[in-house]
Amino acid sequence: MGSIKRISKELTELTESPPEGITVELADESNVYEWKVIMEGPEGSPYYNGKFLVKLSLPTEYPFKPPTVSFATKIYHPNVTNDEKGSMCLGMLRADEWKPSSKIAAVLQFARQLLSEPMPDDAVEGRIAEQYKTDRGRYEEVAREWTRKHAS
Amino acid sequence: MNLQDFIAMEESRERDELIDLRSLDLVSEYDSHLMCPICHCPFVAPVRLQCDHVFCGSCLSSAINTFRSADSDEFPCPSCRNPTQKVSASVPRLLINMCDEIRVRCPLITEGCQEIIPRGHVQSHVEKYCGYRLLPCPDNSCDQMTRSKDVGMDQKCIHKARRCAHCEEDVLEHEYEEHEKELCPVLEVTCADCETVVTRRALQEHIESCPEVAIPCSASKYACPAKIRRADIAAHEQSCPIVAMGPYFEAQDARLKSLESSMRHLQQRNEIFEDGLANLRSTLVESTRLGASSHGSGQPTQSGREQQSSARVDVHTDDPADLSASVFSSNATTYLLSLHESLREEVSQLSHAITDLDARASMAIMNECMRIKEDIAHTNAAVNSVRMQVQWLMNPRLHQGTRGGAVRPNSTESEGTRTTMASSAAGPSHAAGQSLGPPSAQTPQ
Repeated sequence: MGSIKRISKELTELTESPPEGITVELADESNVYEWKVIMEGPEGSPYYNGKFLVKLSLPTEYPFKPPTVSFATKIYHPNVTNDEKGSMCLGMLRADEWKPSSKIAAVLQFARQLLSEPMPDDAVEGRIAEQYKTDRGRYEEVAREWTRKHAS
Repeated sequence: MNLQDFIAMEESRERDELIDLRSLDLVSEYDSHLMCPICHCPFVAPVRLQCDHVFCGSCLSSAINTFRSADSDEFPCPSCRNPTQKVSASVPRLLINMCDEIRVRCPLITEGCQEIIPRGHVQSHVEKYCGYRLLPCPDNSCDQMTRSKDVGMDQKCIHKARRCAHCEEDVLEHEYEEHEKELCPVLEVTCADCETVVTRRALQEHIESCPEVAIPCSASKYACPAKIRRADIAAHEQSCPIVAMGPYFEAQDARLKSLESSMRHLQQRNEIFEDGLANLRSTLVESTRLGASSHGSGQPTQSGREQQSSARVDVHTDDPADLSASVFSSNATTYLLSLHESLREEVSQLSHAITDLDARASMAIMNECMRIKEDIAHTNAAVNSVRMQVQWLMNPRLHQGTRGGAVRPNSTESEGTRTTMASSAAGPSHAAGQSLGPPSAQTPQ
């Protein structure tokens, strides 16, 4: 019960004053645990001008357990798995690093920050991370191409 | 106090909490430091940990239940994850006062209470002072609820129906006063415009026909600004130029609407055509590109020409006016060129096949030759041995024929010949069996 109250509070805050480039709504009005987030690619990154659908699901134990973030839109990024799940690896979302005091707004902003600055050392897609480190130009080209194809 | 005691205390306290302080509607902004990091509300009955982090008591107890591994006596602080064993209920008075000072709306706003009170007083307000708290009706036979302010001194049930003396309608007891003074349809009211006195029930009807009420000119939708008393409106409409223009305006309106709809229709068709055109263009460009890349290496002049034609297509894609013409001409050229190319390919394939056949034929001939040569050698050897035998058979006769003449030398010669013959007599069968005897050794001369 406590989780629903806190989640709806955070949802109201996020819809009333959304952070830059992030729009939030419920996937289903009757279920506060599944969120639909539209994330705009940050300026200066190869994802610029792309609109990514991000699914955020909250456990019933929230805020004691971390939420999970996954990209429903395909994205070429070292920290997002390149399968139909598109799960994102965020350090702060790991069960042993999560703090109940962290807010969803912070999670989303961190995820968007990761779009402009990928963390190749913490990657889930080793091949993309390798390319990011050795051939930045090609990486940006492919990421831009994918953004154009899948996220616009 | 240790964790067990704390959780037990929280559980007992939760049971007597009547009002949920977290769901209150906050009127004023409050300092973000007063917000519990777990429930994101101002602290409710805060407690403190060894690391000086403060949480609501109930939030902390659910955090402990979630994070503590079974029966261990410590858990990580939800803010800094320091291992913690003790919870202290002594929080600075200042903090509690600041949280209690936050102004909130009475939770009975759903019943109509508009009061704004400090959060610390909500409990007592609702219990003692709020007039909107629902109480069971004082009449035991009635099972409805009554607001506490409506109960009054006389303790009578307000849910009984009472018949209005004027309109003979049934009205609830607690609404009776309002009905009698304001809502009863039999009450008489005065029309604001013509000052006629009518009943409430007839007022609406009266307003629709009242000659004093100002109504807009019938041409008001074509921008006639006049708004005149109903009595005078007929005179105005007779002289109003816009009313006279009315039918014309209406006709124009209808025409515009039909034009708009046909335009929309055309736009849609246009879009469909444009899509088709774009599709054609993309397939065309793709096919020329494919052709150029597959035949490019073998035929330099050819590929040059094709690049030219594809370049021409690219140039013309910017210019939709003569696009179709160029598409057709370049289409035909490309078609012929590709035909030419495929024919050329076929010819080269044929010539390949011919060389192949040639090589195979000469190979077969060579093989055949070798075998024939071998056979010839065999036959030669056989012929030789036959000749030898014949000679050997002939020799005695020749000797008989020449006996009488030179005997001496002949005898020595016949001696020599005989030895040769003896070796040759064994020879023929040998030579015939052997595949390739050295013919020079057996040739007699």
